[in-house]
Amino acid sequence: MGTTLTQRDLEKLLDRIVQEVTELVTGIALRPWEGPLKGDPRTVRIDFKKGALTSLTLCTDAALLARMTRNALNAESPAAQDMAEFAKEFFNILCGKIATVLYRETKVSARFSVPRFYDSRYEPEDRRVQFVLTYADEHQGGAQLIHYVPRDGENTAT
Amino acid sequence: MGTRIMVVDDSPMIFAQMESLLKDTEFEIAAYCQDGEEAVAQYDQIRPDLITMDIIMPGMDGLETAQVLLEDHPEARIVMVSSLAYDETFEEARTIGAKGFIDKPFEKDRLVEALQKAMEE
Repeated sequence: MGTTLTQRDLEKLLDRIVQEVTELVTGIALRPWEGPLKGDPRTVRIDFKKGALTSLTLCTDAALLARMTRNALNAESPAAQDMAEFAKEFFNILCGKIATVLYRETKVSARFSVPRFYDSRYEPEDRRVQFVLTYADEHQGGAQLIHYVPRDGENTAT
Repeated sequence: MGTRIMVVDDSPMIFAQMESLLKDTEFEIAAYCQDGEEAVAQYDQIRPDLITMDIIMPGMDGLETAQVLLEDHPEARIVMVSSLAYDETFEEARTIGAKGFIDKPFEKDRLVEALQKAMEE
C-alpha cells in the first residue's frame, strides 16, 4: 500500500534529486537560489503519462547548459545540437530517478514522454505552475525545475 | 571477433558513450537504432549477439520493442538500459524475457559486467 506525498514532500524530494543527479552526471554543484533566471534560456519538457499526470520542465541559461554539456561529454566547445541532445538525455535520467524515488515512496509507477527541447523559455499552455525550484552554480548560471499540473484539475504528483 | 551488440536508444549521446566505453573490450557495436521500429526492422539483417534497449523512446517504447523482438526471435538477448530502475520495471523486463538491466547513468565497469552477465545466462 502506497502513501501520498504532500506538495512540500514532493518539493524536497525533487530538490534532492536535482542536486544529486546534476552533480553525478556533470560534476556541477547546484545550490538553491533566490534570484531570477538570467541569460539566454533553454527548456526541456517531459509529461508524465502513467501515475501522476503532471509535467516537468527544466529551464537553464545557455551558459550553464554549455558547462553541463562540456563536463558530461568532455567536449571543449559543444555545438548547439550537442547541448540539445545532452539536455534531453540529462532530463530523461533526472526524470527516471524522480520516478524511481516516487515509486519507492508511494508505490505509484510512473512513465513519461520522450523529452522535448526548446531553444527558448517554454511554458506549456495547457498546464499551470504548481511550484518552481530555482538553482545557481558557482558561476551564477541559473536553472529552474518547474512542476506543472493540469489546468482543469488538482492532480498532484501522487 | 567480439560480441556484437545492437544499441537501441533515441539518444545519440548514449550510443557515443557506449562506443567509447566498450572500446578495448570484448564487445563491439554492430548497429545503432534510434527507435524500436528500426530495431525490429534491422534485427534479421544484423543478428546481434546482444541488444541494449532504452525504455523511454519515441513510438514503441523499449519494453514493447523487447516483447515484439522476443516473440519473433526468442533467442535474442536483450539488456534494458534505463533510469526507471525500480521493482515494477525490473519485473516487467524479466517477465518479457530481458536478460538484465543497466541503470542510467552508467560507468564502464558496470556496463561491461552487466553485458558479460547477460551473455552467460
